[in-house]
Parts: sequence; C-alpha cells; structure tokens
Amino acid sequence: MTSKYIALPKSVTEKVFDAAINDFRSVLGDAAVLISAEQLAPYIKTMMPVSDAEHAPSAALLATTVEQIQKIVGICNRYKVPIWTISTGKNLGYGSAAPAERGQVVLDLKRMNRILEVDKDLAFALVEPGVTYQQLDDYIKEHKLGLWLSMPAPSAIAGPVGNTLDRGVGYTPYGEHFLFACGMEVVLANGEVLRTGMGSMPNSNTWQVFKWGYGPYLDGIFTQSNYGIVTKFGFWLMPEPPAFKPFVIQYEYEEDIVEIVETIRPLRISGVIPNAVVIAHALYEAPVKARRSDYVSGPGSIPDEAVYRIMKDHKLGIWNVYAALYGTQEQIDVNWKIVTQAFGRSGKAKILTEQEAAEDPAFVYRAKLMRGEMTLTEFSLYNWRGGGGSMWFAPVSQARGSETLKQMALTKQILAKYGLDYSGEFIVGMRDMHHIVDVLYDKTDPEQTKAAYQCFDELLTEFSARGYGTYRVNTAFMDKVAETYGPVQRNVHKTLKKALDPNGILAPGKSGIR
Amino acid sequence: MKETRLGGAFVVFGFMLVIFFPAINHAWSAQEEKLSAGFAWKDGAEIYAKICAYCHEAQVGPPIRNRELPISYIRTIVRNGNRAMPSFRSSEIDDESLTKLADFISKTEAQH
Repeated sequence: MTSKYIALPKSVTEKVFDAAINDFRSVLGDAAVLISAEQLAPYIKTMMPVSDAEHAPSAALLATTVEQIQKIVGICNRYKVPIWTISTGKNLGYGSAAPAERGQVVLDLKRMNRILEVDKDLAFALVEPGVTYQQLDDYIKEHKLGLWLSMPAPSAIAGPVGNTLDRGVGYTPYGEHFLFACGMEVVLANGEVLRTGMGSMPNSNTWQVFKWGYGPYLDGIFTQSNYGIVTKFGFWLMPEPPAFKPFVIQYEYEEDIVEIVETIRPLRISGVIPNAVVIAHALYEAPVKARRSDYVSGPGSIPDEAVYRIMKDHKLGIWNVYAALYGTQEQIDVNWKIVTQAFGRSGKAKILTEQEAAEDPAFVYRAKLMRGEMTLTEFSLYNWRGGGGSMWFAPVSQARGSETLKQMALTKQILAKYGLDYSGEFIVGMRDMHHIVDVLYDKTDPEQTKAAYQCFDELLTEFSARGYGTYRVNTAFMDKVAETYGPVQRNVHKTLKKALDPNGILAPGKSGIR
Repeated sequence: MKETRLGGAFVVFGFMLVIFFPAINHAWSAQEEKLSAGFAWKDGAEIYAKICAYCHEAQVGPPIRNRELPISYIRTIVRNGNRAMPSFRSSEIDDESLTKLADFISKTEAQH
C-alpha cells in the first residue's frame, strides 16, 4: 500500500504520524498542515549536491502564533516527531527551506511576520521570524524613520531573524549581524517561553537596548542551534548617515591580497573604514557582467588566462575591494584622505568612486549592499555554471595578508582538481575574515554534482587539518564540520541538547547536534 | 510570570512533560492578542516588484512579462523553482496571491 506521505520521520510509523498530523490540524486547521507532494514541492528544492529526496520533509506546518508553537512542541514530544524550523526559508546554498534529515516536519514561520516595534530614537527593531528585509525596509521608509538595514545578498526575500540566527553577515557597519542582536523570545522544547536578557523581567523596557541581562548570557546558544524556537527577535539598526561614500579599489595580481589585507586591517580596527569590507575575486564579480561560456568551454576550471581576459574586458581587478565611508561630509573627507594615502602608497591600487563607477553594475549592487538597499544582483553567480548548484564554503581566516593568500591558494587548488572555479571573496570582520567561496556547479549534470560533493568534502578536510575552521555550512555537511571542532565542544552541545530537549524534537542534526 | 528553568530537571522529568503540556500557556502569549495583523500582499504588481523584478528586470533571470506565459506554467515554476531560481512556498506567496501574480505576469501590457 502506498503511503499518503511523501516521507516519514525517522522511527515514526505511519499510524503514529497520522495521529500527530490530526493533532497538528486541530491546532492549526487543515489548511495550515501541508502533506501532499504538490504542497511540499517548494520545501524540497535545494542547491546541494545530494538527492533532494534525502532532505524531503514529511509535512509542513504554517504556524502564526506563539501559542500554536507551544502546542506544536507538545504534540511533537507526545509522538516523538522532529520539527525543522524555518523563517523565510531562503538559506540558499546552506540548505534552503529543506530539513536536515528526510522526514522531519518543517515548522514554517514565514506567516508569523509582524513588525512589532521599530524605535526611531533608540534605533532598534523587534520582529517576528517571517519578516523579510524588504518588508522592514518598506516599513522604515513608509514611516520615515531614517534607519538603515544591514542584510546579506539575498536581501529582499530573506529576513533578519533567520540570517542572524545562522550568524550570517551583511555589508554595512552593522554587518556582523549577531553583534547587533538584542533580545530574543524563545519557545523551549517543553513549551515554556523564555525571553532572554532584560526581557525576562516583567515590565522591563530595556529588552532591546541592553543585551546582557543578568547571569549567563543565553542568546548565543539559540544561534546555529536547535535548543529552542525563536519567535521574537530584537536587533539594532543604523541611523542613516548624513553622507555616504562607497568606493572600490582594484588590484591586478592575486598575490596583492597580502598588501590589501595589511592595508585594510589597521583602517578597519581603528574604525576609519567602519563597514564589513569585501575583497572580491574577479570571478565573484564577473557573472554580473560576463558569461562564462564566452570565455571557456568544455570541462575543467576556468584557466587564469581567461580570467585575465574577463578582467580586461569588463574593467575588473583580480581583487576588487568594496568599502564605504559613513558620517558627515567633514568626517568622510578626513577619512577619505587617510584611505587614499594608505592605498596609494605602493602604486598598485586603482581607486574608483561613484564618479568613475556609477554605471558599473558590479559597483552599483555593491554600493546598494553597503547602504542596506534591496538588490538580488548577486544571484548572477548562479548563472556562472548554471543548473542551480551552489554551496557556500566559509572558512574563517585571520585578517592577515599571508593567511588570506594561503587560504585562497589552497581553495583554488582543490577546486581546480574537481574542475570548479574559484568564486571567492573575503568579508573583513574586526580582526577576522569570513572567506566566502561559492562552490558553483551544474546540479543537472550528475558527474559535476558528484565532483562538487567530493570537492566540498575535501575542502573541509584539508582546511580543518590546517586549523582553519568553517563558520557555517549547508545541511549535508553539518556533522562533518561539527567533528572538526573536536569532541569536547560536541559533548557540551549534546549535554545542552539533552537538558533542553530530552526527546530530541527540535531540528535534530542542526550543527551536528542531536 | 512563570519562571523559566534551564536546569537538569527536564532530563529527570522528561517523560512526564507530556502530561503537563496542555496546561502550559505562558503569560507572554496573552499579549499576542493586542498586536496587529501580519503582512499580506496587495496585488500581483506588488509581488512582482518586491520579489520577481529584482532578478527578472535586472538581467539576472530572463524577462518574463509580456510573453504570454501560461498561468499554469508560472504557478509551477514559482512553486518548484527552476534550476537556479528558488522555489516560493505558499507561506510566502499564498495561492490566491500567486493567481494574481501569474495573471500580472502573463497579461500583455497595452502597447500604445
């Protein structure tokens, strides 16, 4: 007999699952409990090099209130049914909206999408998980609040809750998003509702202005984790500066990354350049302007000679440093002088501002990202190989020139072994760099898909062997990355899991935690 | 307000939790009633402008307007995605709004 479900949770019989579904329906109504293949199709598509069937959910639940979620976790505990929570479900290249394991029930909070508060004076927001950056941006503009967002490249269709909880980054001075998180509401696996920090105190009005509360700081354990379901999330917004000056600095040789990083680090640490600077390789920017098929055909990674031609044809550096200055015109003038002096010293840098690059599509979208304006232009990357395959390889590096060069060379070497291109960038943190490489491949090509999987596996193995840790990874490789951080951390994660979620109902497998 | 405990008691009494769930209804959730309704799409043009246009009007994805694309085709692509294009769930674009969107995309603009 064929099942009425496209998948079942691990170790749950169809009869037990029937009972769970009935209970979910009694809480949410029939229309908010999705089980048919047609209804679940949007949850299944991923960009990972594994069969989408491995990540097919058994059902999706569209909850809209905290009370519903409290009841849902009760049902999950009763029937030992695992749920995988998503917010906007646009964690593209990290697993999209699909669960970590086949058969998990997706708890989809996209419809829980109220903007609860935006305070103009204190410059903070409190939102629900389904709020997108677009929705918040529209709200801020409509109410003329004079605040800027910081968001990742999928901006309009992604949202601050999911991105920050997965410790994603943006490109403004508030680009390290979790640094600017302030207060969460979390439904725990036992159904209780925790408000972190000052939010635990009745009548407190400091939940979104003071992060630490009293006692151990808890917010961190609800990021990249499966210890609770975040239902409200506070974070700080940047007041719109009186003036903004985006610029790009281009370099011609890959080895120049050493000079770039050594020049930027002191400017970033001292705050002269306040934003999350991006050092983008030519192949990260090329898809905005060029087609790969115009430069190379057949299998294998793109040769350096072709990359050089793309650079010349499309006015790109091999490295393109995107940064911006923010503040009053006087502040910008002073800092601009410091920046141009620092980068002008060696004579290698080509410095461009809006005056020279206003028509350049790569500069335009980068400038938008640096002022929190919606754009999806970075999705051009997906056209490079075509076929919808993408995984973000994201090792962390010291902000030290010699280290970035080593990481770039190693990544490029391993990618080339599997016939893949180096579409990489470094996002400059305060003292670190998020080395972000889009491992692009054609998912409609089985051979390339297999190669991409093996390549990603080798990247993780080789980087961890050298002490380079990955900060975030797609759902197919979470266990492998968890292993690289050693048994003690894994045991602590597991101990917390057992304490907070003894039945293991919340997103088993997230960050390798069960 | 009910105190939230994060101790080992959950492990010891984990098997008993089921019994207590129906009674759990934290004070915070009572505040839900006072809050405004969530976001809802106005029409197909709004969805197109706030989602589709960022790629399909920006040389990232192909142009899709004024091509008389069948409504059923548009619905299928939106829900399933297509190669690099992500899929969109009914929680993002509900069925009724998707009908309006498909109509907006497929309708040929008057040429004057």
